[in-house]
Amino acid sequence: MRLDTIFVIAKREYMQRIQSKGFWIATLILPLFIGSVTVLPSLLASKARTKQSVAVVDETGKVAPELTAKPAAAKDGKPEAEFVFKTEPPGSDLKAQRAALDRRVLSGEIDAWLWIGRDVLTTSVVEYHAKNVSNILSQPVLRDTISGAVRRVRLRAAGYDAERVGELSQPVELETQRVSAAGSRKAGALSGAAFGYILFFMLYVTLAIWGQQVMQGVLEEKSSRVIEVIVSAVKPFELMMGKLTGICAVGLTQFCIWLLTFSVLTLPGILATIATLPKGVTLPTVTPFMVLNFAFLFVLGFFVFSTFYAAIGAAFNNVQEAQQVAGVAVFFLVIPVFLMLRIINDPGSTFAVVMSLIPIFTPLLMTLRIALEMPPLWQLLLAYALTLGFLWIAVSACARIYRVGILMYGKKPTFQELWKWMRYST
Amino acid sequence: MTTTNLELREVRKSYGGLVAVDGVSLAVEGGTIFGLLGPNGSGKTSTIRMIMDITAPDGGEILLFGHPRRSEDLARVGYLPEERGLYRKMTVIDQLVFLGEIRGLKRREIVPDIVRWLERVELGGRGASKIEELSKGNQQKVQLIGTILHKPDLLILDEPFSGLDPLNQELFRALLLEYRQQGKSVVLSTHGMELAERLCDQICLISQGRAILTGELRAIKKRLGGNSFRLSADGDLEALRTLPEVEQAVIQDGGVAKLLLHPDADGADTLRKIVDLVRVREFRSEEPELEQIFLKAVRDAA
Repeated sequence: MRLDTIFVIAKREYMQRIQSKGFWIATLILPLFIGSVTVLPSLLASKARTKQSVAVVDETGKVAPELTAKPAAAKDGKPEAEFVFKTEPPGSDLKAQRAALDRRVLSGEIDAWLWIGRDVLTTSVVEYHAKNVSNILSQPVLRDTISGAVRRVRLRAAGYDAERVGELSQPVELETQRVSAAGSRKAGALSGAAFGYILFFMLYVTLAIWGQQVMQGVLEEKSSRVIEVIVSAVKPFELMMGKLTGICAVGLTQFCIWLLTFSVLTLPGILATIATLPKGVTLPTVTPFMVLNFAFLFVLGFFVFSTFYAAIGAAFNNVQEAQQVAGVAVFFLVIPVFLMLRIINDPGSTFAVVMSLIPIFTPLLMTLRIALEMPPLWQLLLAYALTLGFLWIAVSACARIYRVGILMYGKKPTFQELWKWMRYST
Repeated sequence: MTTTNLELREVRKSYGGLVAVDGVSLAVEGGTIFGLLGPNGSGKTSTIRMIMDITAPDGGEILLFGHPRRSEDLARVGYLPEERGLYRKMTVIDQLVFLGEIRGLKRREIVPDIVRWLERVELGGRGASKIEELSKGNQQKVQLIGTILHKPDLLILDEPFSGLDPLNQELFRALLLEYRQQGKSVVLSTHGMELAERLCDQICLISQGRAILTGELRAIKKRLGGNSFRLSADGDLEALRTLPEVEQAVIQDGGVAKLLLHPDADGADTLRKIVDLVRVREFRSEEPELEQIFLKAVRDAA
């Protein structure tokens, strides 16, 4: 095995792909997509955070004073919506008054009007009239505000001190702490799961995409008939390893761009200024040791799956033929997706440990576990050793199929033939 | 002094139960064009793949440049496979640099050579074009440059003329003759006998994996040509095949037949019998064509 030729092959694969427009489009589209589904709505929502003037007609005469006395309780000191209530007494002609209020909404004098019926204390229903009745951010705030007002009226009617009851029935918050060898640190449980989830799918997508790319690359070399020119100067094994190394580097580049985008976006302060985080979500911290493990797991995962894809590409003549067998690889990629939820729920369970030690699942499941909580070092080392052992067997089997397959044209091989190829001497 | 650039000794290869190459021996001297001839599927490509160390022989020996083949010897060999192509999306220069680099050459060393070659084949301005943007004929030129860029001492061309346009055929021919002049060797594998006849100094006829005839083309013709005749006649030439003296009859258009008689048959006696069958216009002794020799050799071997 000559490393310099492997390097030449890898360099070609890397440069050809990194210079293509397709790579950059595919690489930038994912962060843009994630960005657009996370940051954009928050940006838009912050625009909706304006004062609304609301006319209130209160038939009971008890609720409206509570509303105007107590402005919307700010959760983080920053209310998501502010309302200015203007109480108006119910007139003699209710129908005419409603029509007049509608006209004022249409003319833009007020944004909305509330109608608090006589029997609100028993029915718990208040009418809300506005041009836009689908504002998901301000309506819950409005509902909470009115509910609070109605509750206080009810409590007072039943003879309780409304303020005192409010203080006593304060809900508790769960402050989640992540326990690790480095000591307990505050980290949102929700954000940990989300982080694991995102990382898992980033890896899943890159493995699937670049595995396919390896297969198509091999098929292209076969169909363009360039392969025999190459193997007259380079051993098939060197060609395969060069190809895998080059494309692995491309995938790693993409993965790093994504990881970098993610960590820049989650830098303290940056995300907070461009988007509002839901209460209770703190951002996960990514240590260099974690990044090192992620990169290593990516390389392991890439080689485990792509070696297989390379052998398939070599054995068959076109994408259609190869795709049927490539389904086997996809099958092993998908299984971890089904195991994921159970592992997120309890990343330290025996189930999670055993599953993440199975070589073909290790790349995806270990990545998930590390994102959730750092597994003990012995588990990491054992998983790596097992996967490397598995990889050695897979590479030698696939290299044999590859070696024979790349020079075979025409008939689609049967499984018996593939088995025979594996046992040919060099 | 001539050197033996390539030598095969009793090389054999089988795939499963099928024997593809069955004890082939041959030697290629410097300054010769060597024809590896035979019909499709006779074992030519299998033999070449073993020479190039793409597949390993089951038995026998392969010597390059006078010693058992070492992997670094292959850097002195230029190989144009029958199944050949280029990376469609690469530029001409990148492609050629890559082909040089996998043989251990450095980019800066070969770029001047590449430019010179491109100019020679009238592709001077196309270095930055992608392969897929070139015409088929121009792609063949690039392929050829890729084969000889590392200045090989031994050139192995598998069916080099198949699919070539006439202009490129001439380019190839000129190159082969140039190589011979420089004392280098060319191994030419082909099933086109006419072409081999024009170019080759030495030949090896392969049929069903076995070398059935090896040696200098002129000597072979002399040896086997004693009883070869050209007959021009009217009538049913097919009837000639019924004569026991006629070992082989190749019947051509215009009432011409090329006859190969048994070594102990007498030309004059046979002519007397022929006259009974057809109206003879002309009957004369001549050098046999390679195709006739080939057909006879195949039949004798069977």
